[in-house]
Amino acid sequence: MAVLPSEGESPAPARGALVLADLPARRGRGWLHSLDISIPAVLLIALAFTCFVWPYLYKIPSPVGGGILTGSLPVGSPGHLLGTTVVGNDIMSRLIYGGRISIEIMFAVQGIGLVVGSLIGVTAAMMQGVAETIAMRILDVIIAFPAIILVVVIVLGLGASEATLIWALAVVMIPIFARVSRAGAVTIREQTYIVAAELSGSKRWRIALRHVLPNILMSLLTFAVLGAGIVVILEATVSFFGYGIPPPGPSWGNMIAVGAQTMSTRPVLLLVPSVVLLVTVIALNTLGEGMRRRWGTLR
Amino acid sequence: MTVDGSDETGATGGPATLPGAPTAPGAANGESVLLEVRHLVQEFPIRNAGGVKGGMLQAVSDVSFTLRAGEALGIVGETGSGKSTLARSVIQAPPPRSGEVIFDGVDLTKLRRRQLGPLRRHVQMVFQDPYSSLDPKWRVKDIVAEPLVAYEAGDRRQRQARVDELLDLVGLDPETYGARRPGQLSGGQAQRVAIARAIALHPQLVICDEPVSSLDVLVQAQVLNLFEKLRQELALAYLFIAHDLALVKQVSDRVIVLYLGKVCELGPSDGLYAEPLHPYTLALLKSIPDTDPTIRRARTKEVISGELPSPLDPPSGCRFRTRCPRAQARCAEEVPVLRPLRKDHFVACHFPLHERGGGAVGAAGTAVALGEASA
Amino acid sequence: MSTPVVTPTEAAGGHAEGEGGLRWWAAFTSSPTLRLAVRRILIAIPVMLGVTFLTSVLLNLLPGDAASALLGANATPQEIRQLYLKLHLNESFFVRYWQWLDGVFHGHLGVSLQNTQPVAQIIGQHLPVTFELIVYSTLVMVFVTIPIAMLCARRPGGIVDRITMILSMGFLSIPQFVLGLLFVLVFAVVWKIFPALGYTPITQSLGANLKDFTLPALTIALPFSGFYIRLLRGDLIEQMESQDYVVTARAKGFGSWYILTRHAFRNSLISFVTIVGLNVAQLFAYTVIVEEIFGLPGLGYQLLTGVSDRNTPLVQAIVLVFAGIVVIVNLFTDLTYGVIDPRVRYGRSAI
Repeated sequence: MAVLPSEGESPAPARGALVLADLPARRGRGWLHSLDISIPAVLLIALAFTCFVWPYLYKIPSPVGGGILTGSLPVGSPGHLLGTTVVGNDIMSRLIYGGRISIEIMFAVQGIGLVVGSLIGVTAAMMQGVAETIAMRILDVIIAFPAIILVVVIVLGLGASEATLIWALAVVMIPIFARVSRAGAVTIREQTYIVAAELSGSKRWRIALRHVLPNILMSLLTFAVLGAGIVVILEATVSFFGYGIPPPGPSWGNMIAVGAQTMSTRPVLLLVPSVVLLVTVIALNTLGEGMRRRWGTLR
Repeated sequence: MTVDGSDETGATGGPATLPGAPTAPGAANGESVLLEVRHLVQEFPIRNAGGVKGGMLQAVSDVSFTLRAGEALGIVGETGSGKSTLARSVIQAPPPRSGEVIFDGVDLTKLRRRQLGPLRRHVQMVFQDPYSSLDPKWRVKDIVAEPLVAYEAGDRRQRQARVDELLDLVGLDPETYGARRPGQLSGGQAQRVAIARAIALHPQLVICDEPVSSLDVLVQAQVLNLFEKLRQELALAYLFIAHDLALVKQVSDRVIVLYLGKVCELGPSDGLYAEPLHPYTLALLKSIPDTDPTIRRARTKEVISGELPSPLDPPSGCRFRTRCPRAQARCAEEVPVLRPLRKDHFVACHFPLHERGGGAVGAAGTAVALGEASA
Repeated sequence: MSTPVVTPTEAAGGHAEGEGGLRWWAAFTSSPTLRLAVRRILIAIPVMLGVTFLTSVLLNLLPGDAASALLGANATPQEIRQLYLKLHLNESFFVRYWQWLDGVFHGHLGVSLQNTQPVAQIIGQHLPVTFELIVYSTLVMVFVTIPIAMLCARRPGGIVDRITMILSMGFLSIPQFVLGLLFVLVFAVVWKIFPALGYTPITQSLGANLKDFTLPALTIALPFSGFYIRLLRGDLIEQMESQDYVVTARAKGFGSWYILTRHAFRNSLISFVTIVGLNVAQLFAYTVIVEEIFGLPGLGYQLLTGVSDRNTPLVQAIVLVFAGIVVIVNLFTDLTYGVIDPRVRYGRSAI
């Protein structure tokens, strides 16, 4: 086989400039300089601010309990910036309160998923052997199950509310977190510094807590951001089908469901919540990818 | 440089023990044996793409040796000769497939994982790649303190003082380096940190798995000197693994030459260096870049030819025969046993370069025979 | 230095056994592909059992029971009690799961609680719809992804690449139900090119059938394509920039496009096929959504209604079928490596 003499040299780069995505993580500069992290981060902070702080600064109409008198107002009506629904609820405030629920659910589910999932995953990896195999098989079963059906069944069983939705979505996310953290822990446990720690006399739980966990933490956080997009989508989907946040409670999912019924006459009712939902998920995914590119996945 | 161990042995040495006898070769009578390895075998299952079990890879097959307190024993071999596996087997990470590892009178292979803890504090290890043996997220002072914390040695302030003391001992300023992370250290500095961690609990034995081979030449010398200094100050015993015979000679009293998981030759480092008995040892010596004018050796440039055979399917008889210039029919049929030809100097070869009683068989002639493929 | 993982001694042992009338066994042990297949299936069995068991547990935990759910609000307590006993709902949960499992091993999937129609018959009616949807969307997925990813990889950072990267991020982020609704809005309400709802059997009219399936298939496929394009593009670019064989081919004077299509793509194909195969499991989840939105009478739709009706036998059977298909597709994916990458076929690989 012909081997080029200049083996050490890297091959000529493809023509054209490289896109942002191809640049290796520039560790020298602060993370705020990476546009793919800072832009979505700012966007998400703005969204959180609008949903949680804005209603306290400026009085906004109630998202529920609107009267038929103010029903079906068009976009740009005085006092109702984005108009009202058929039953007279302000769309803007429904978006804000729906967003609040989405963000709350997202944080709660990813928080539970991160803690419980990494606990399961790292424990499984540290146990090794049969226990590890059995634990991972059980998680496989839950992951193999269609997520939507799982959430619907649990919500039906417990009764629909924000809290039950959080637990149902956590059941979906915990095995995924467990699998990711176990995969990470398996690569870490093969590292020489784990052998060194064992030789130093550190107990296994201490190695798991002080060596394994810190070294997979950044990739777990990255995954939590990427997975947050999935949670927001799942929540919206389940609410769209009427199994999630019970109407008239505001949720982007059931707003879209309502909008879908009048899409030929008032498409704005469908488009506005759809766009808000889409932008949120895009921001989460872009942020997640930016984080992954910068802090890397596990080696 | 290292004259203490070997010279004493020479003075007291009785008749050499045969391999296979209860005491492994090299065990000197009357000396306190710190570590004794008997018939150690280590194997790994090979799995293919689908996770289906393939063959067994025998990385170390039937290796025996002893190590006296305060002695430095070198282990030399090519990449894939099983020397690192041997080292890991000694510290039971993972435990060997069969054989005994007797440390201070206790067979480590018979102990459960939990019982190993208190014993293992007397055996420490320094790894090849200093960066991968240090947790990248930890600060230097926490790394060095880890064994102290694990064995609850003293209170917080005492531990801190001990860490500073240890860093001073390995030549790092605690003020400057204590708060750094491994990524902010040079290779030599990182290895010094690893050494400080290894000696934190006053171990009796430090296993050094190619501790300088990833360092720059200049740094290598410094770290080797550090090893030497620590040995004298702390009365450490070393199991010093390297692929470079010259380097091993510098630190070791005795040397084991390993080839495909088997011992080829075992002897005092001076004797082995001056008068190698196994053709493989000679080949290893030849491969050392000849820069030292004090070493008188035929200036032949030949190195060993061919590649290491697959350990999955080692050659029959003598494992070195496929690359050995002296190989004959007998070498393919009969596994050579390790036998003493000199005082404390053993060889596993049917046709050693020198026979019993000294007298050159013709090292130069062999060298010519070896030199079929010039590099 | 790569090491062959099947030792010569082992291969020899396999043949020796073959002489004693155990030829099939010899063929089996010496065929890595077959061993891989059996291993996969053996691993899959406990997972499938687990999935059906989980289904039972979950449905059992639901408040209310099938008897009251089926008879509705106007039924008398006596009627409910009668049906309750008739459906063996008085038996313990484990007994019912065991009875169901026993039936499955004897080829009976049970009857629907709703209309006593055999479950196997219901699946026979509705599976083709879901199957067509999955095949259609997988084809769309693959044929959208490959050319676009190659165009991007040809000139990374070029205008095509930049636009694709933005669009693909949009598509991979869009919830399937939102995409479906937007498609309906644009292509059925505003432009009236495709029907918003409905299903024409393929036997009636192929054209109408394909028209019915186009928007649902696009709805499932495009978010996946967004994801796959980024994946394949990244892999291709990495190959073009760092692999030795690319350097060699360049030195021989081949153009970028030639190397990309003949060399890099062939190598990337393995990981691409793997990821597409593994994600078939995910597709089933999305058929539930899409069949509901577009009113396609597939299994996903049956699954959702089955859950709200507490129609345990039906839900169990559908879950079993879905899990079985996933196992088969994953197995098929594994075996496809052998076609693409001969090293796998011969049971050799670098450790």
